Amino acid sequence: MKITFKIWRQKNSDSKGTLKTYDVDGLTEDMSFLEALDHLNEQLVLKNEEVIAYEYDCREGICGQCGVFINGRAHGPHDHMTTCQLHMRSFKDGDTIVVEPWRAKSFPIIKDLIVDRSAFDRIIEEGAYISSKTGTAPESNAIPIPKAKADKAMDAAACIGCGACVATCKNSSAALFTSAKINHLNSLPQGKAEEHERVEAMTWQMKEEGFGSCTFTGACEVECPEAISITNIAEMNARKLKAKLLG
Amino acid sequence: MALNFLFYRKSLIALTGLFLCVFLVVHLSANAILLLPNDIASELYNSYSHTLRENPLITVVAYVLYISIVLHAVVALLITLHNRKAKPQKYIMDKSQQNSSWYSKNMGILGTLILIFIIIHLANFWARIKLGIGEEVLLDKNGYKDVFSVTYELFQNIWFVLFYSILAIPLAFHLYHGLKSGFKTLGFYHKKGLRILAKVSLIYAIIMGVGFGIIPIVVYFK
Repeated sequence: MKITFKIWRQKNSDSKGTLKTYDVDGLTEDMSFLEALDHLNEQLVLKNEEVIAYEYDCREGICGQCGVFINGRAHGPHDHMTTCQLHMRSFKDGDTIVVEPWRAKSFPIIKDLIVDRSAFDRIIEEGAYISSKTGTAPESNAIPIPKAKADKAMDAAACIGCGACVATCKNSSAALFTSAKINHLNSLPQGKAEEHERVEAMTWQMKEEGFGSCTFTGACEVECPEAISITNIAEMNARKLKAKLLG
Repeated sequence: MALNFLFYRKSLIALTGLFLCVFLVVHLSANAILLLPNDIASELYNSYSHTLRENPLITVVAYVLYISIVLHAVVALLITLHNRKAKPQKYIMDKSQQNSSWYSKNMGILGTLILIFIIIHLANFWARIKLGIGEEVLLDKNGYKDVFSVTYELFQNIWFVLFYSILAIPLAFHLYHGLKSGFKTLGFYHKKGLRILAKVSLIYAIIMGVGFGIIPIVVYFK
């Protein structure tokens, strides 16, 4: 199949970027979107042109590295999907595909489609840990956790930190990411020791990084590859209130 | 501390917004009197508004109302400016209509329309009746200010009828998203409760939109 790619090219964080058009032939419907970009890069190498910079790691939808904006949506036209899980069969022969990097003040563009998501790491550093005894591994059934609670924690823990929530949010809010990390640990007994400090510290860092505030448009939960519910944000707000009153 | 204020700003919008939602219920209930035959409506409406003006508790509530409107608008403006800074560069291709509703993304524009409405609405009624600006409000046969006639005369003008009725549409959309998300901002996260809240918000918004929208039209054709 033949596709016209319009891809954001930007030399570095200081330079001004622009969309560049590439006509690519020889693609197949079985190719993943990343493989199609690989194919394009191979052609650029042969033509002695600079290849397009984009991120990836696992290519199986669990690492959260491959986030790009495809045809006006985070990770392309489908809900709850990473870029590497998107295949060229989702497009038609002759289509034009616009590829842009995540756009948010807190995610500065490093080069082409690669953005700096270390703001997420700094939010994690502020409180996404627990105090635990070192030494031999604890007996796995020593702390009883009801199934419903374990499931809820797992649903939040599924966040892969891809940044699609920030990218798609009109306010570039990191509320879905931060709330998932907070609720994951705060709903488990192991997370109780730092319960209130965690909420305070992580939400503080979220604001400090310059992310906008959540206005519940619901775009994030649609684009989230793990379908993390926006209810997590409401729960974070409740935990924040609780931390203020009891913390 | 300044950053911490950002968190409370959202709560402030939610709290003032929810108060305004309650106010609208009372306001629409009173306005429903206007749907009655003119002679009954006139007497009831004038005595009702007289009772409101005389009640010291209502005077206090009125000040809470003024403050709520101002705070809601000013804080929303501050947050919007802050949020815009968080996304300095827009996408060249944006298909966000596929993942979120247009009204949830444009609460600021809807709110601005409502604010313009409120200013004109206050100039039409509040300024004349309460501040005595403009044409004097006459007394009815019971010696109460004839608020009914002020309303009736205003809605003989088709342009005001259209303005009031059309502006009820952005109001309804603003209320639908506002009520739904206001509770989430304040930390209400019960899943089943939120599903019920979404339905209640829809019904509430429809009642408010249709209610406020239809009264001027009914009065015009009476």
